[in-house]
Amino acid sequence: MASGFSRIVPTGRSHGAVGYHPSRVSLQFDHIQKSFGATNALRGVSFDVAEGEAHALVGENGAGKSTLLKILAGLVKADRGEMRWQGRAFAPSSPREAIEHGIGMVYQEMLCLPNLSVAANIFCGREICHYGRLDDAAMRSRTRAVLDRLSLKIDPDALAESLSAAHRQLLQVARALAFDCRILVLDEPTTALTDAEADHLFDVLRELKEGGTTILYVSHRLPEVFRLCDRITVLRDGAFVATFTTADVNTNDIVKAMVGRDLPSRDNGPVPTKHEGRSRAQAGEPRLSTNRLARAGHFRRISFSVWRGDIVGIFGLVGSGRSELLETIFGLHRPTAGEICVDGAPVTFRSPRDAARAGIVLVPEERHRQGLWFNFDLRNNLSIPRATLKDAVVIKATGERRDAAAMMGDWGIKAAGIDALPDSLSGGNQQKVVVAKWMATNPRVLLLDEPTKGVDVGAKFEIHEMIRQQARAGLAVLVVSSDLPEILALADRILVMKEGELQGELSGAIATEEDVMRLATHEVVTA
Amino acid sequence: MKRLRAIRELSTVAILIAEVLFFAWYLWPEAGRAHPFLNAENALLILKYSSIYGIAAVGAAVVIISGGIDLSPGAVIALASVIVGHFFVAEQWPLAPSLVAGLSIGAASGLLTSLLVVTVKLPPFIATLGVMGITRGVAFIITEGQYYDVSSRLPSGWQPMGVPIDWLAPLVMFAMAIVFQILMTRFQWGRAVFSIGGNETAALFSGIAIGRVKASVYVISGLLASLAGIVLVLVQGQGKADLATGYELDIIASAVVGGASLAGGRGSVMGAVLGTLIFGVLRNALPQIPGATFYDRLIVGVVVIVIVVADQLLLRRSTKS
Repeated sequence: MASGFSRIVPTGRSHGAVGYHPSRVSLQFDHIQKSFGATNALRGVSFDVAEGEAHALVGENGAGKSTLLKILAGLVKADRGEMRWQGRAFAPSSPREAIEHGIGMVYQEMLCLPNLSVAANIFCGREICHYGRLDDAAMRSRTRAVLDRLSLKIDPDALAESLSAAHRQLLQVARALAFDCRILVLDEPTTALTDAEADHLFDVLRELKEGGTTILYVSHRLPEVFRLCDRITVLRDGAFVATFTTADVNTNDIVKAMVGRDLPSRDNGPVPTKHEGRSRAQAGEPRLSTNRLARAGHFRRISFSVWRGDIVGIFGLVGSGRSELLETIFGLHRPTAGEICVDGAPVTFRSPRDAARAGIVLVPEERHRQGLWFNFDLRNNLSIPRATLKDAVVIKATGERRDAAAMMGDWGIKAAGIDALPDSLSGGNQQKVVVAKWMATNPRVLLLDEPTKGVDVGAKFEIHEMIRQQARAGLAVLVVSSDLPEILALADRILVMKEGELQGELSGAIATEEDVMRLATHEVVTA
Repeated sequence: MKRLRAIRELSTVAILIAEVLFFAWYLWPEAGRAHPFLNAENALLILKYSSIYGIAAVGAAVVIISGGIDLSPGAVIALASVIVGHFFVAEQWPLAPSLVAGLSIGAASGLLTSLLVVTVKLPPFIATLGVMGITRGVAFIITEGQYYDVSSRLPSGWQPMGVPIDWLAPLVMFAMAIVFQILMTRFQWGRAVFSIGGNETAALFSGIAIGRVKASVYVISGLLASLAGIVLVLVQGQGKADLATGYELDIIASAVVGGASLAGGRGSVMGAVLGTLIFGVLRNALPQIPGATFYDRLIVGVVVIVIVVADQLLLRRSTKS
C-alpha cells in the first residue's frame, strides 16, 4: 500500500542562511553500515553536514538515528563505511576520544550527576587541576562564562538535582561548549521539556548557530526541525532516503519520505490478510475498555474499547505515553483518574498478578529485562505464569515437560529442546516464548508492547499470524507499536497517541501510513 | 539447568572429598598411633560443629537464591539461645515451650526483616544489618553480660526422642537440608524464589506474588537461624549473648562456596550445607597442623576465593558449549 511514492529527489539549490557554508563539509558519513545480530540497524548511510549549518536527522523509531549517533559518539563501532570529520577519517573508539575531537553530544536521557554541582557536572571527566588538586576557582569562572554565553542564570555551585529538566538539558549543552565542541549533536532534546522550556532551548540553539556552531539535530518532531534547521536528512529502515533543503519542502514531504516505502512490504500485504473481526459487529460489552483514564505526567483522557476478536493498535512515537498506558492497564501503575473496565465492570488492579488473574496479560517491550529468566530453561520459562496463576503447590514436571514441548511445536519455537536456556535462542524465538507462556494461561485480553521489536522478518510474520489466529478464536488484543507497517497489518482499528493523548482513531482497513504519521506528528487534528 | 545444578553439587562433594583426603594424608600418624583426623569420633565432632552453621546456611542459601542477603543469622542464633536460657533457666519453664519461644524469636526477627525489605523497601543488606544489631543487642540486654547455664537443668545423658545429644545437630541439619532441597526444586514456591532471584522484573510481570515470596524467604532464614540457636543451646548447654559472633559471614561464604550466586537465581540448599562441611573440616584439621593455627583465617579466605573463581570459570565454559 502507500508505496506509490518514488524517492523524493533532493533539490540541489542551496540557500544562504547565516554562517552556513554548504561548500565546506564539516562531518561526512560515507556508507556507514552496522548490524546487531540479525538486525541491520544501518545499511550504508551517506550524507554530510556542512560547516556552520543546523542539520536535522529525522526518521521513525528504528530508522537508525540513534545508532548513527552512537557511532559518532564513540559508543559503537561501524561494521563498514567511514566517517570523515574536518576532512580526516574519524573512528572514535570511546566517548572520550569523540569529545577530544570536538564532538559535543547532548543525549536524550539527560545524563547528569544529580549530587554534584553545576560546575562539577560540566567539568566531569576533564577537571581543571593544579598538580592533582582541583582548581575549583578556575572551573567556576569558566562555568560562569559558558552559562553567560547561553544566557542562563544558574549558580555554578547549585546542585544539578535542583535544576529544572530544561536547565539540566542545557547543562549538557554547556558541557559540550565548555569543551570547545565544533559540532553540537542533540538527540531528541525536547522529549522531557515543556513547550516554554523547549522555546528557551531553541533560542539558545539559534544563537549558537548564528555564532557559527554546527548543529546536528535529531528529532521526530517536525515543527521543531523546521524552526531550526537548514537541511533535513531522512533515514528509513537504516537507509538514507534523502537530504532536503528546509526552505524547499513542507512537513508533508518529510512525512512521506519518513514512511513511504520502496522496500518490499515487511508483511504479507496487510489489507487482505486481516481477519474478519473488523466487519464483525461489536456486540455486547467490550472485553476491555477505559474511560478517561489518566496517569499524571504520562497520559490523560484515554477512552477506548476492545471487543472479543478485536485487534486494536495504538501507534505513537517514543514518549507518547503508550507503554505507560499498557503498564497501567496491567496493574504496574495506578491510574490517577478514570477507570478500566473488563466486560463492562470497573476493575482495580494493584499488581500484574491481579491483572493476570482477571485474564489480562502483557507481553512487555523488553523481553530480556521483563519477560525471560536466563537462569531457567525453556520448560520453566514457559510454565511459570500458568503454574503461578493456578496457585500450584507442587511442580508437575512431567506434565510441564509435555506441555512445553507441545507449546514449542504450536508456536514454532526453534530451540535445541525444552531444556535449552533462553539465551541460546534468536530474538524472534525468545519473543515467541514470552507470548506462548502467557497464551498458556488462556487470557481474555492480550496486551502487546512492541511485539516484534528486534525480531527478524520471518519470525515477525509468524508472530503476526499467531496474534491474528488468537483474535479469531475470541481473544481481545491491544497492540502498541511504533512500527507503522506492523500496526497497519495487524490492527482493525488504530488509535494514535501523541504526548499522552489520543489524537484520533483510524480504521485499519483504509488508513495509510501517512494518515497515521500525520496524526502522530502534526499539531493539526483532521477528522 | 537441572543438569548444571547436579554437576555443581557433585563438584562441591568432590572438593569436600579432596579436602578430607588431603588432611588424611598430611596428618597421617607414625606407625602404631591413632589417626588424629581420620576417625569416627573426629568426624562426629566436625559434623556437630558444622551443623550450627549448616542449619542457618540452609536459610541463607534460600535468601541468596532470591537475590537477597541476610547478615543476621549469627545474632539470631545468639538471641534464640538466650531466650531459651531465659525461659528454661530463669523462668523455670519446661523445655518444650522454652524451645518454642526460641523459635518464635527467630520468626519474629525474620518478620521484621521482611517488613523492612518488602514494605519499607530497604536494601536487604541494610535491613539485615539493622536486624543483626537489634537482635544481638536484645540478647545482651536480657543477659546483662551473664549467661544461662542450661546444661545443669538438662538431665544428664538426656536423649531427645532417643537421639544421642551429639547426633542431634547433624540430624537436624540433614533433615532441614533435605526438606528445603525438595521445597526449592519440586515446589512452586521454590521456583518462585529462583525466578525472583533470576529476574525480579520478569517475575513481577508474570504474576508472581513477589512481596509474599520475599517475606517468606526472610522468615524462613530467621526461623532456621533460631533453630540453629536452640540446637546450639542443647548441645553446648549455654544461652549466651556473644555466641556465634561473626557466623553470618561464614554462613554466607558456605552458601557461595556451595554454588549460590550473590546476584541471585542460582545456588542450592544442599550445596550450602556441603559448603559448611568444607569449612568445618578446615576448622577442625588446621589446628592439628603444627604452626598452622595462625594461618587458619587466611587459608579459609583463600579457599573461598579459589573455589568461587574456579566455579565461575567452570560455569563460563559450560554455558559456552
